[in-house]
Amino acid sequence: MIRYECLQLLASKMSNQLVVTSQSGQRIEWSHLSRHEGNLLVGMMGCAIGVATGLALALPHRKVIALDSDGSVLLSLFNLATLGNLRPKNLVVYVFDNGVYSGSRISYPTATAGNTDLTAMARGAGIENAQTIRDFEEFKKAGIDALSKNELGFYVCKVEESLLHREIPRPNTDLAENKYTFVRYLERTEEKTIPFVGRG
Amino acid sequence: MKDELAKRLVQGLKDAGINFVTYLPETRLSQIVPLIRDDPDMELIAVANESEAITIAAGATLGGKQAAVYMENTGIYTSCYSLLTVGKQLGVPLLLVIAYLGGVPDLRNSFLYATIGKHSIPVLQGLGIDHRVLEDGDRLEIKITDAVRAANSLRAPYALLFAGEFSE
Repeated sequence: MIRYECLQLLASKMSNQLVVTSQSGQRIEWSHLSRHEGNLLVGMMGCAIGVATGLALALPHRKVIALDSDGSVLLSLFNLATLGNLRPKNLVVYVFDNGVYSGSRISYPTATAGNTDLTAMARGAGIENAQTIRDFEEFKKAGIDALSKNELGFYVCKVEESLLHREIPRPNTDLAENKYTFVRYLERTEEKTIPFVGRG
Repeated sequence: MKDELAKRLVQGLKDAGINFVTYLPETRLSQIVPLIRDDPDMELIAVANESEAITIAAGATLGGKQAAVYMENTGIYTSCYSLLTVGKQLGVPLLLVIAYLGGVPDLRNSFLYATIGKHSIPVLQGLGIDHRVLEDGDRLEIKITDAVRAANSLRAPYALLFAGEFSE
């Protein structure tokens, strides 16, 4: 299964969902596929699930999607236990697990290339609806069905190591610019003021 | 901490607009936990690591909450990465309510905590996070409101370190 194809399909299903990505290849690919104002492209690994959880708790009527990687989840495994107890019904986490730390030049195995099973860990942490998706046909069904379910979903999508993200231009949107676009989009669609923005 | 001081602290948070609190339990300020949990205007979220206390609170802030993170100062060390990347780099205001274990004004200081306390403020300074040490209840409510206003204005975490009477 190729991550870009999964993201391409996912992007075609987006309407008013909020999407949080961690730093990795999918951040580059998602920003290339989707220019939606509800995208928050978090700039570092290991933070997307936490930020997405906070958004899901603050806005329980909005669907929130976290696009994450095996490397990021491994960096913040405590998220699994917290999610397993909070179980926000409006949150879907897709972990694109390629088994490698794949930067702009490196390709080194992660623990999931060895003995580690993130789905089993998520289930053990209390995330009941954690499942592994192994091919695109399964992603088209289970992965996309998750968008219409009213329960926490945690999908470990086993993908091949693709080097496409090294060829796609990286997003040139500044982090602060992305944040304000996202916050203004929320203000507009939620018809409320985000308190910290304030007036000058 | 005397119960009355705990009540003032929580009321001060409410008056300053705080309506979402992530936390990892610790002892010194622990009387505030049931007060926040029982308050219908505040949401209290337990976490497994202070690092995600920061990221979850940051997400809630972007979603329209006025968030605080309550933790022991050991949590400064475990959450450095989140504080820097999500708090500072992304620029998300958060009130950090920190029990200042091992600081000089910590009334329960001992060899267990002194090293942790000694480095807390230098680490915050290294992260570029402004702070204020509170040792008693003098103008407590105003100081909390000032801290939230500073966090919002700076678009960054702001730390209140509680010691002295708060560590009794």
